[in-house]
Amino acid sequence: MPHIEIDGQSIEVAAGTTIMEAAESLGIYIPFFCYHPKLSVAANCRMCLVDVEKAPKPLPACATPVADGMKIATASRKAKMAQQGVLEFLLINHPLDCPICDQGGECPLQDITMGFANPHSHYQEEKRVVEDKDIGPLITTEMTRCIQCTRCVRFGQEIGGIKELGATGRGEHMAIGTYVAKAVQSELSGNMIDLCPVGALTSKPFRYKARSWELKHTPGVCPHCSTGCNTDVQSLGKEVLRVLPRHNEAVNEQWICDKGRYAYTGLNAPDRVTKPLLRQKDGEWAEVSWAEALEATLAGLDKMLARHGADKLAGLISAQSSNEELFLFQGLLRGLGSPHLDHRLRQQDFRADAAMPRYPALSMTLEELEREPLIVLCHAFTRHQQPLTNHRLHKAVLNGGKVVSIDSIHQDFNFPVTQLVAEAGADGHLYQQLAEHFAHLHEAPQRDPLAVLAQELAAADNPLILIGSALLHHPQAADLLAQVESIAELSGGRIGWLAEEANSAGAWLSGCVPHRGPGGHPVDAAGLPADAYWEAGMQGFILFGVEPGVDSMRGAEAVQRLANAEFVLSISHFAQEARQYADVILPMAAFAEGAGSYVNNEGRLQSFRAAVKLPGEARPGWKILRVLGDSLKLPDFQYNELSEVSAAWQHAVGDYGMDIPPFQAFPPLHATQALPAGPLLRLGDWPIYQGDPLVRRAAPLHNPLRARMHPQQAHLSGIQGEVVEVSTAAGKVTLALELDTHIPLGCIWVPLGYSETAVLGAAYTPCSVVMAALPERQPESLRAS
Amino acid sequence: MLSEKSLEAIAFERSKYPPEESRSALLAALRIAQEEQGYLRDELITYVANLLDLPPIQAFEVATFYTMYDLKPVGRHKFCVCGSVSCFLNGSDRIIRHLSERLGIGLGETTEDGLFTLQEVECLGACKDAPMLQLGDRYYENLTPESLDALIAELQGGSTDVR
Repeated sequence: MPHIEIDGQSIEVAAGTTIMEAAESLGIYIPFFCYHPKLSVAANCRMCLVDVEKAPKPLPACATPVADGMKIATASRKAKMAQQGVLEFLLINHPLDCPICDQGGECPLQDITMGFANPHSHYQEEKRVVEDKDIGPLITTEMTRCIQCTRCVRFGQEIGGIKELGATGRGEHMAIGTYVAKAVQSELSGNMIDLCPVGALTSKPFRYKARSWELKHTPGVCPHCSTGCNTDVQSLGKEVLRVLPRHNEAVNEQWICDKGRYAYTGLNAPDRVTKPLLRQKDGEWAEVSWAEALEATLAGLDKMLARHGADKLAGLISAQSSNEELFLFQGLLRGLGSPHLDHRLRQQDFRADAAMPRYPALSMTLEELEREPLIVLCHAFTRHQQPLTNHRLHKAVLNGGKVVSIDSIHQDFNFPVTQLVAEAGADGHLYQQLAEHFAHLHEAPQRDPLAVLAQELAAADNPLILIGSALLHHPQAADLLAQVESIAELSGGRIGWLAEEANSAGAWLSGCVPHRGPGGHPVDAAGLPADAYWEAGMQGFILFGVEPGVDSMRGAEAVQRLANAEFVLSISHFAQEARQYADVILPMAAFAEGAGSYVNNEGRLQSFRAAVKLPGEARPGWKILRVLGDSLKLPDFQYNELSEVSAAWQHAVGDYGMDIPPFQAFPPLHATQALPAGPLLRLGDWPIYQGDPLVRRAAPLHNPLRARMHPQQAHLSGIQGEVVEVSTAAGKVTLALELDTHIPLGCIWVPLGYSETAVLGAAYTPCSVVMAALPERQPESLRAS
Repeated sequence: MLSEKSLEAIAFERSKYPPEESRSALLAALRIAQEEQGYLRDELITYVANLLDLPPIQAFEVATFYTMYDLKPVGRHKFCVCGSVSCFLNGSDRIIRHLSERLGIGLGETTEDGLFTLQEVECLGACKDAPMLQLGDRYYENLTPESLDALIAELQGGSTDVR
């Protein structure tokens, strides 16, 4: 191992270590701009020049590997002259507009200039000006400030998996831009803001809102997917002003996705509720005091229970709720005598419930995922569902692993993935075929990709099979799960689950499923699952943080049934949907306003604190549930502090472990026939920015609503225009159409999660599509007819 | 967008490199596209990038880096005047100024008759005879205002082979 000396301190480091890394381990600071430990070495800013004994010229520390006996000086006269020279050149074209720059106060260029520059510049000529580019609603560009470190360019290529930004032009004319000023497409694009060492790329929603040193930092946990990224919630007064990643190598490294970064902009949506709302006799809504609202709630519940009994009361809770809230929620429902509570609003087929694991666990750590040689994704589009889990899969591929996706449509992955796509509605058949290929493993080399996959699975040592949320949304979910299990058995592989929401794991563990209580213990009398409530004629509903109208498969029907129910209590952040059917709306703490804990996909328990004060009279969810339970004289609701609830949760849930058996016992395999499609099959799932109430309200993240169809299918169906009318048995809607070869023939993709498409009912149902005329030019979504 | 002949030529260039290194053929592919179409429109650059399975931005980076690629239509004769160190020290700025005044165009511009384009380029490796310019495939060295005037006169006279 090479033995070297930096600034008189000697150290022995592994061969291949760079001077920068060696200095870092000695705690010696070398200034830099373009170097980044997670990116490839570009060595183009030249800021890290150091003086190496016997080298004729200073060398860049980030790109120079150490050699035995090297003597390095980071602050000799030669090194300092080099650093001063480089800074003088970097500042030649920099506008020095720090007073109006959002990066001011957290700017490496500013800091390094203060620390290392010669205060005098020789440059008196004109500075160059670079035209700003519009690269979408998330990032503001101020390209004159750019020092061409190319971190953003390398990030796009190496982490984002899409080359979007590039350096065009040469020498003095070099500038960073996207090709033909296209909006940046990566779901990780916001990280480029953090990477930019100057103010060239800054956050658009945060622009001119505050100075970095004025902000209060609160450690948070992202509530938007099951990866559980650690965040740094930054606030000023009562307002969350931005969300940045908090470094945690085990979970999110130093990244977060755009959903986690920008969803906070939905907090001030116009329909935010900050005072209890009570529906009056005339149907109008009135703001009331908490005392009145609670009284009305208790009276409403009492009346409903007296008339219909607890068997007609159902509870739906969001899996974005904290463990504490989930735990109290199930205690409330079960305490009132109702077994009907669930968090799985999007699921249609619950036949496999008894066989489900204790909680949807990855069954390994995220870091281990990077080293898997063969990963099969079953209906899991991780890029949009768990962007930073997806990043680990990307790294697995970079490490020489292989990822295969089995799905209903071709997905737009940002790294090479072998994709096996079912024919319209024949998802079960695809899995079945794959299982059948295991019987013919020793036949000659195969061309059929399914046969190749079977061979690879059989040859691999313990391959990993990951089950995605879209599999659970499928109407034949139980059959598909049985198929997946048999494939895992045939290949000797492991099954892991990609949990859908931030606290899906917590929801299972806390007992917010109809058949299991806290800790996953079966309950005596199992209740009905979420999707059954609409037909079961439930008369009372307690909704916690959910919008069944867009969060469930049959949204329009859900709203209708809720409106017809005798009593609906909605504990929520937002009122728009609840106003259609609720009797009482209780305002609850939203993201960054409450404390609690989540269990992420790995089984990692992570807690978070409130970053800002509650708006108006909103209250933390757990307190609302506690008061309700206490007022209803239920046992075990005498908590005063959150920590007491957490302790009770811990006690009830017990030790759950990270590596859990995937299935308990599975019902026998069912025959799987293709879903009926006539004339077309309507596919659909929740798009990345429509998945939960907060992100749906985040203005900068909105994607236009579009139906998608294969151009050939459009031709076959005689569709030429850009607008179609899609009708199912449930209803019809007029939508903008995008031609997309990712969608298999015989299908049309219509996303869920929009109130406009809720009338179509569940996905994977037959539909017909005809050309429609536009009444007037409306590029975005069109209202339901 | 490109003729069969050009596509074949690009495929030939592509075949010189390993399958995963298609970007190695980018320089040649852009040159072939430009030779056929005169200059590289945005759509043409995207088209060439797609031919080689590269992100369009990557082709755009290359096309904007080299002065030999023209991103807009150019005149019949393109004066590529070197502006790098040796030529600059020997008065390349005077050469550029003279050409600019004589032709009535600035850098990167084309005369109205479509005959001349003026461009400043990076070092072309002829430092010993600075200042110099490139015209077509040929270098013109030790330039003076007089030699430039003579050159322009011959070109305006319709000559294409000026020694």
